[in-house]
Amino acid sequence: MTATKKISLTINGKVCAGKPGQTILEIARANKIDIPTLCYLKGLTPWGGCRLCIVEIEGSPKVVPSCTTPAVGGSKIITNSPRLQGLRKATLELLFSERNHFCPMCQYNKGDCGLQHQGYLHGINNVRYQYLYPAMPVDLTAKYFGIDHNRCILCGRCVRTCDEIEGVHTLDVAYRGIRNRIVVDMLKKFSESETCTSCGACVANCPTGAFFDKAAAFRGPLASCQQVLTTCTECPLGCGLKVFVKENRIVNVWGDPDSPVNRGHLCVKGRYETWAEPRERITQPLLRGKDGKLKPATWDNAIAAIRKAVKAAKKTEKALLVAPRVTNETAQTITKFTGKIDRLGMYVTANEAALCSDPSFNADAMRKLEDADAIIIIGVQPSRDHGVVAARIRTAVRKREAKLLIFHARKSDLDRYANICAHEVSLEHQFWDEVAAALEGAQRPAIVYGANAMTPIGVTVLERLIKIFEGHPGRRAPALIGLPVGTNSLALAAAGIEAVEDVGPWLDAKPLKFLHIVASDAPDGGAGMLEEKYVPGLLDEIPCVVVQAGYRSALTGKAAVVLPATIWCEKSGTITNLEGRRLSLRPVLPVSGEAREDAAILESVFA
Amino acid sequence: MKKPIGKKVTKKTTRPAAKAAAAPAAPAKVRVATMWLSGCSGCHMSFLDLDERLVGLAKLIDILFSPIVDTKVKDMPQVDVGIVEGCVNNTDQEHELKMLRDRCKILIALGDCACTGNIPALRNQFPLKDCLARAYEQAESNRISCIPNDPLVPKLYPKARPLQEVVKVDLHIPGCPPDADVIWYALTELLAGRMPQWNEKNLRYD
Repeated sequence: MTATKKISLTINGKVCAGKPGQTILEIARANKIDIPTLCYLKGLTPWGGCRLCIVEIEGSPKVVPSCTTPAVGGSKIITNSPRLQGLRKATLELLFSERNHFCPMCQYNKGDCGLQHQGYLHGINNVRYQYLYPAMPVDLTAKYFGIDHNRCILCGRCVRTCDEIEGVHTLDVAYRGIRNRIVVDMLKKFSESETCTSCGACVANCPTGAFFDKAAAFRGPLASCQQVLTTCTECPLGCGLKVFVKENRIVNVWGDPDSPVNRGHLCVKGRYETWAEPRERITQPLLRGKDGKLKPATWDNAIAAIRKAVKAAKKTEKALLVAPRVTNETAQTITKFTGKIDRLGMYVTANEAALCSDPSFNADAMRKLEDADAIIIIGVQPSRDHGVVAARIRTAVRKREAKLLIFHARKSDLDRYANICAHEVSLEHQFWDEVAAALEGAQRPAIVYGANAMTPIGVTVLERLIKIFEGHPGRRAPALIGLPVGTNSLALAAAGIEAVEDVGPWLDAKPLKFLHIVASDAPDGGAGMLEEKYVPGLLDEIPCVVVQAGYRSALTGKAAVVLPATIWCEKSGTITNLEGRRLSLRPVLPVSGEAREDAAILESVFA
Repeated sequence: MKKPIGKKVTKKTTRPAAKAAAAPAAPAKVRVATMWLSGCSGCHMSFLDLDERLVGLAKLIDILFSPIVDTKVKDMPQVDVGIVEGCVNNTDQEHELKMLRDRCKILIALGDCACTGNIPALRNQFPLKDCLARAYEQAESNRISCIPNDPLVPKLYPKARPLQEVVKVDLHIPGCPPDADVIWYALTELLAGRMPQWNEKNLRYD
């Protein structure tokens, strides 16, 4: 087998081993020989654009870019010589002179800029070419980031990231020669873009300050930040986060490249919404006064008021409702108190209770999805709720020509990549013959299903699909990937907490005098989750509603007592993702104000 | 640079001021002129940040012409080294710079404005008349709107230019402003008869 054969070559006099097909750069880096690069980024297709990685091959008169040149066994490579140094310096000087790269005016000037770094490494104290000072536009219309073409070096990392990782190909390069520049959706502004998902991967992968995060602007250089690894709690994927912290403030949030779940990629929710959105934080307990307004109170007073109400109510008149995003550790504390209350539930989105009734974790779901050659979506909206799954689906379809079939889901941007897109499912034979034909030859099919797959239509689709797969002997069984909306709902259900999708009847079943809601750090207090089945007057009828939450919301507006809870960046504990991985949350910031951990609050209320 | 100037200091000591002071009285001091074109004076301030090292430096150099010295000279004297902060924005500055170039042996571009144009060159993206109109006619602080047109006022060029686009420059010291330690390094190297070497340790563009 040639695939396992090894090749050996000499780089700077050092014998280096590699595999056939590897580029010179890959082998050099694997052997700890550094070659300067700007446009190269591990994980993206090599582009050979910046020409900094040029090397000399003995016997060849010309220099070649090492990032795109496959290594040949026995060759002798020189990565550093006066000639290469001179060429690299000239290339860098041309880059500096082409646009308006003035470091004093750039927020990336303290160690975050690849161009500046290379300038320093190459000892460039002067640019010998005439500066062009071109008038370049700046597009600040995107919600979370901006692009400043003045600082762009056209390395194309953003274009390849957008195309190969997020899979939307919003960004591309247009015009020729000196007018060459990065464009959005055929010369649109970001605000007009129909394809941009605001995932922000282009910003994280930009080597200069051309792409920048608005919320991170002038909060300090990333190079000076402490990096904390934690887990995103916005959806059940549990993507790894790399949080940049300086002086007890979050400067930026990137994906953790070493996370097996997301491998560095994030969606808009994890990348921006948790920290770049203005949200009103609750930092001290609030008690509703006689005038009906919430007023600041001490923890002692708030807990005393709650315990009085707890004592006054009979066991049958007490209930506890939790958001599906609380940690496993909080769930353990909660289940200790089941004997003291009548009802314990977590509020989930419509039809999700069925998904939770038989919690099944698909180990390696993300890898199977990335590997699938046919993806079937039933009753779920990955591009809204699970951005990284949507990115994996898009790249599977666009880069590996995987089949995509969508059943019984709302309209989304994935529709245009679909071979079959049936928002309304037909039961006609002709339609199902088409489905069978589309799945013909699929070796690694994956079914991604959500809460709406649990409706009668969804179940019908599932049954028919399974019939198609069973009808063809020799075909592999599809990987079943269940995607709930609630972050930790599967693990909470497994811990014995009842999933409640119809909160109204659940509350109404027996009259309540005390209701404790653990909203945790849901941005809307979970009111959005409750909304669909929300009976507005219902909470008003309960004499004592306690809400422990991180942010002010419609829900805290209904409460008699509001207790400040920690939010994602202050929590510790674990959540279990859809693959069954127990992922750790690590405190990134000190707890703000008087907020306390969910479990600690519950202990002081019920113990 | 062809001829080394100043006394050659062979041995490096850790304390730069001590080193300069320890050097025996030089037969002739190096004559220096400094000039402030379109810049913010920050580079001169950074030069003054040499602090106590200035005392030692004063034994080696004479600053004959500079915005920061109080000597009144009618005309720019012949000097060994000319140090220029800022870029060339108008006719007067070009004239001064060319004069200094004629009268010095080594011309140093000090700071980013002199090296790249930097902040004064921000206007290069816009037509000159728009820049003038913005500053003298539309600016919110203007009481009267009139673009200065007295013949004594130097004419602005359409673009601000770094020094090397106007005259030959022998040494560029980047930085906004260059750190006092970097200025010290460059000056002591020159005084020792060497050209400064640039690497990631002493280069800063910001």
